[in-house]
Amino acid sequence: MTVTPLTLALVALFTPLGAAALIGAVTPLRRRGTPAAWLSIAAVMVTLGCAARLFMLRLAQPDGELLRTFAWLPSGSSTLAELGVRLDGVSIPMFLVLSVVAACVQVFSLGYMADEPAPARGRYFAYHSLFVFSMGLLVLAPNLLELFIGWELVGLTSYLLIGFYYQKPSAAQAAIKAFWVTKFADMAFLLGLILLVSVTGSFSWTASPPAPWATAITLLVFVGVMGKSAQFPLHIWLPNAMEGPTPVSALLHAATMVAAGVYLIVRAHPLFALSETTLAVMTSIGAFTALFAAVIAVVQTDIKRVLAYSTCSQLGYMIAALGAGSVMGGYFHLTTHACFKALLFLGAGSVIHAVHSNELAHMGGLFRRMRLTGVTFMIGALALAGVPPFAGFFSKDLILEAMVHGERWLPLAALLAGAFLTALYMTRVVWLTFFGEPSTEHAEHAHEHGALMVAPLVVLAVLSAGAGFFGKTLAAVYGLEYEFSLTPVGVAGSALGLLGILAGWFAWGRPGKTTRAFELVAPLGTLARSGAVNRAWELGYRQVLMVAAELIAWFDRYVVDGVMNFIAWATLRLGTRLRRLTTGNAQDYVYAVVAGAVVIAAWGIFG
Amino acid sequence: MALSPYLLLAAALFSIGVYGVLSRRNAIGVLLSVELMANAVNINLVAFSRAHGTALGQVFALFSIAITVAEVVVGLALVILLYRSRRDVLVDAASDLKG
Amino acid sequence: MEHLLAIIVAAPFVAGVLLLLVPEVDRLMVRLVALCGASVSLAGSVLVATHYDLAEGGLQLAASYPLVPSLGIALRLAADGWSVSLLLLTGIITFAGVLASWTLRERSKEFYVFLLVLVAGVFGVFVSQDLFIFFLFYEIAVLPMYLLIGIWGSSHAVAKDGPFHFVWKLFDIGGREYAAMKLTLMLLVGSALILVVIFAMYVEAGQHTFDMSVLGRARYPRSMQIWAFPLLWLGFGSLSGVFPFHTWSPDGHASAPTAVSMLHAGVLMKLGAFGVMRVGMVMLPEGAVVWAPMVGVIAVVNIVYGALSAMGQKDLKYIIAYSSVSHMGVVMLGAATLTTTGWNGAVYQMFAHGIMTGLFFALVGLVYERAHTRSVPSMGGFGKAMPAVAVFFTLAGLSSLGLPGTAGFVAELMVFIGAWQSAHSWWAIPGILGAFFTAVYVLRTVRMIFWGPGPAARFDELADARRTEWGALVILGAALIVFGVYPALILDFINRTTPHYLGAVKELIGAP
Repeated sequence: MTVTPLTLALVALFTPLGAAALIGAVTPLRRRGTPAAWLSIAAVMVTLGCAARLFMLRLAQPDGELLRTFAWLPSGSSTLAELGVRLDGVSIPMFLVLSVVAACVQVFSLGYMADEPAPARGRYFAYHSLFVFSMGLLVLAPNLLELFIGWELVGLTSYLLIGFYYQKPSAAQAAIKAFWVTKFADMAFLLGLILLVSVTGSFSWTASPPAPWATAITLLVFVGVMGKSAQFPLHIWLPNAMEGPTPVSALLHAATMVAAGVYLIVRAHPLFALSETTLAVMTSIGAFTALFAAVIAVVQTDIKRVLAYSTCSQLGYMIAALGAGSVMGGYFHLTTHACFKALLFLGAGSVIHAVHSNELAHMGGLFRRMRLTGVTFMIGALALAGVPPFAGFFSKDLILEAMVHGERWLPLAALLAGAFLTALYMTRVVWLTFFGEPSTEHAEHAHEHGALMVAPLVVLAVLSAGAGFFGKTLAAVYGLEYEFSLTPVGVAGSALGLLGILAGWFAWGRPGKTTRAFELVAPLGTLARSGAVNRAWELGYRQVLMVAAELIAWFDRYVVDGVMNFIAWATLRLGTRLRRLTTGNAQDYVYAVVAGAVVIAAWGIFG
Repeated sequence: MALSPYLLLAAALFSIGVYGVLSRRNAIGVLLSVELMANAVNINLVAFSRAHGTALGQVFALFSIAITVAEVVVGLALVILLYRSRRDVLVDAASDLKG
Repeated sequence: MEHLLAIIVAAPFVAGVLLLLVPEVDRLMVRLVALCGASVSLAGSVLVATHYDLAEGGLQLAASYPLVPSLGIALRLAADGWSVSLLLLTGIITFAGVLASWTLRERSKEFYVFLLVLVAGVFGVFVSQDLFIFFLFYEIAVLPMYLLIGIWGSSHAVAKDGPFHFVWKLFDIGGREYAAMKLTLMLLVGSALILVVIFAMYVEAGQHTFDMSVLGRARYPRSMQIWAFPLLWLGFGSLSGVFPFHTWSPDGHASAPTAVSMLHAGVLMKLGAFGVMRVGMVMLPEGAVVWAPMVGVIAVVNIVYGALSAMGQKDLKYIIAYSSVSHMGVVMLGAATLTTTGWNGAVYQMFAHGIMTGLFFALVGLVYERAHTRSVPSMGGFGKAMPAVAVFFTLAGLSSLGLPGTAGFVAELMVFIGAWQSAHSWWAIPGILGAFFTAVYVLRTVRMIFWGPGPAARFDELADARRTEWGALVILGAALIVFGVYPALILDFINRTTPHYLGAVKELIGAP
């Protein structure tokens, strides 16, 4: 029996949705927890199988595309919007990455969430299945509208999963903040879509609007990307999003969902390529974020926050590459980053699960106690630092080359500095976590947590180590030529990475030097910890929006409604005055009648 | 025969009635004045009926008389009630509806 | 089939009369009779939808029962695509409303009688093709509200503070009598304006009939259209919460009992918008074209102003009521665009917002009944005790902020696209901003009520939704998702009718 790619895609897409609906609707299943978890994992495995098969088919036949749509919104005699699936060289690899990481994370969650109450676990896995569906919808979208639908739905699952511990005030705040910031950006995205459909008549990214419109549309859509992919100054929600369970951070806030912005630009590159302005803005913002977030990452004390800022920074690399015109660079780094950042987060999850704390200060000396976690985490760190031959080296090399090629020298400098800092903060994290002396009771008694949590780490570690060599395959599927070649800038990048590791070792690696090294970067730390950007936004929220709301509410109650009440009051007053006319004496009324009759008669005769 | 003497008579009668309604303080007097006004109208009806040579106006006058009888019944009943409640039949005493 | 529409309109009325024969003490019987009336109408509405021939379009299932032939008044009933969707909305909300007020204790028989009479009026408006009867049903739908709020409403649920609370005392703001009186008076002033225009149209057309299709074909002089349209807009608009005549809405909704709030925000406010579009814009196209910029600007004010006002409230019902003001602005914005997409969006938003706000008020009723407070800051952590309520409240909130996959998104998308394509593109921007503000206050409210540890232990024992209440919640929640995922179910009907009605306007503005 041959299964058509369309069937595969639909099965892959709707199995997780079915699982989510089933867990959501069948209360006993949800309350029980474990069956729900296995159902969700079975669904994601189906998705993984289908995605792998699709990828294989695509490899065998790398041409053409499969596009199937149906009319969704009619308008008059034409169709306003269509939905469907599109299988091509852009969507299939991303879909595979999504399903691989999602499968790893869900299996890992089985172990990580084992201590949660059963109903909470049921809820957790329902959200996860919903996420796989939403992200799949985003990835397989045939037009920007469906992509936007998936985009908002992953935002929803992100909100639900960040707020998973909904009784914890900080988690509740973080969830709501993530939703607000991304929603704010999405409103610009939506406006861009409306412009697009108004100018070109469709939501397709292959439509070519005239030049000024193209710039406006792509800039607006890019604001949406900045929100979702946590680019300066809309990155503020990502560090807070670490309030969610760690596997969630791995899947949503590192590997896939936040990369959706990058995917969007890759997807809609024909549209973005129309505007030089937008590309320049992208490079600047991407490069700035890459450096800025890397600086902050150096001084974070919470292991997940380091990784969160690192994610911001790496997404900045991708966006800068896309801005410089290297689609392959952005996409390749997206793929490799998904592997090693998911690995790092899951490793961090494993550590956190062992020491019951996120603080780096509560860790230390874990390498001897958790060897597999330690080794895999270090592979992830090396990949992130861009050390050859790990995955990150190849993709980062491509990005740096793109900068040279596009002659974007200032962004290039920022990215190179970022490469150094990346290696520096990763060395710091590795050292403070795995070496030195254990600093708490929990750290002392830390141990691995069984195959369910280790296996995903190993799978992702293998991918992080080896994915770099598959650049050619990815390029072939995408339909591009790619041949690895070592260029001076690539050498410089990896040299800076190694230098960063060395510097990190000097700063934190030698025993007894830890505190002094912190003093070294203290001014930088104060600056980074001040959260100036965050405060500016909060000021906007509390001092502008909330005050405006209070004022308007007051205005409505006492001015607008006051006028209404005044009219009612004035009417009553007038009535009180007029009541004197009612004497109660029948003859007075007859006088009035006669007077009226006389007036009318006079009007009839003389008028 | 000319119409105007009848109309003049009716107008005079009506004016007397209006004057009575406005000036009498006794409720029965008011009621009688109202009757005068009604009969002024009846005269008009009959006079026009005669002038136009149709019976319609006379039929209407008969109707009007019958209705006036009913009205007087109700009116006198009200006067009696007024007397019972106030030992008096003066209209300006009955001003309970004063605003 | 010929009498189907008459049956839909009559069923609630008949059920109301039958209720008078049921003894008050037989509570279950009272509710069952009411539910039967609602079910017949709902089933009838579904039948209308299945029997409406999309290929043919236009007015269908027409029936005419002469009433006053000498004046050309007849009970002319017929359904177009707009009616089909709004009938379904009314059917769903009524059914859910009866279920949601199942636990009402005080004078429940009379309550259901008035409720059903009101519903009969609403159904009547949506299928009337005779302007006089349209107005008659409109009044039937509006007036029972006075008694429903005045008798069964709640007073002063939230204590006031601040330097201006003497104003509250002065007018008894927050009292149910105040709310009922304010609502009735403001809507009656609106009705008076409408009546003037209806008679003017009757006289100007000179056909001695109130038949809307005849009156619609008449070419009214431009000068008359220019003075008549704003009267209709403000007259009907007062019911759909057009700024600044929206102030009855928060007070009215806050005082009204659950089912009444549901019907009022869910269906009645749509009567106003429906009137503006169906009578105002379709029948007076020149007036509509002249006044559209004004209508659009006020609609935009409604959206942003309503959202900001909602953000500034502390009483849960006021928040939802102001959100209705904001969302009805979206309907009016869609209407003001005078584009096919915008009008489709406007009617779809009526449907979507009706379901959503119905769900909201049902949930607010549940929360209030259990927690005995409506002050949002004093709540917290309800998610643990009442997870079902939390889930549905979140769902309604997501639809209200226009999340894809819910009906709200479809409607807002179409309205905003229509706005951009209209003569005043900038309208789309504050509209979208309003959607963002909605996200801010809705999620904040959800967090304050359901998330977090909660301020007091007394809230830990709150009961979740019970059987009939579940029914209401599931029906409305499912409708939100189904019509958000596959909007064609309703949109096909709306879209079949819109171009036809928009024809006259398009001729005037020379659009393709």
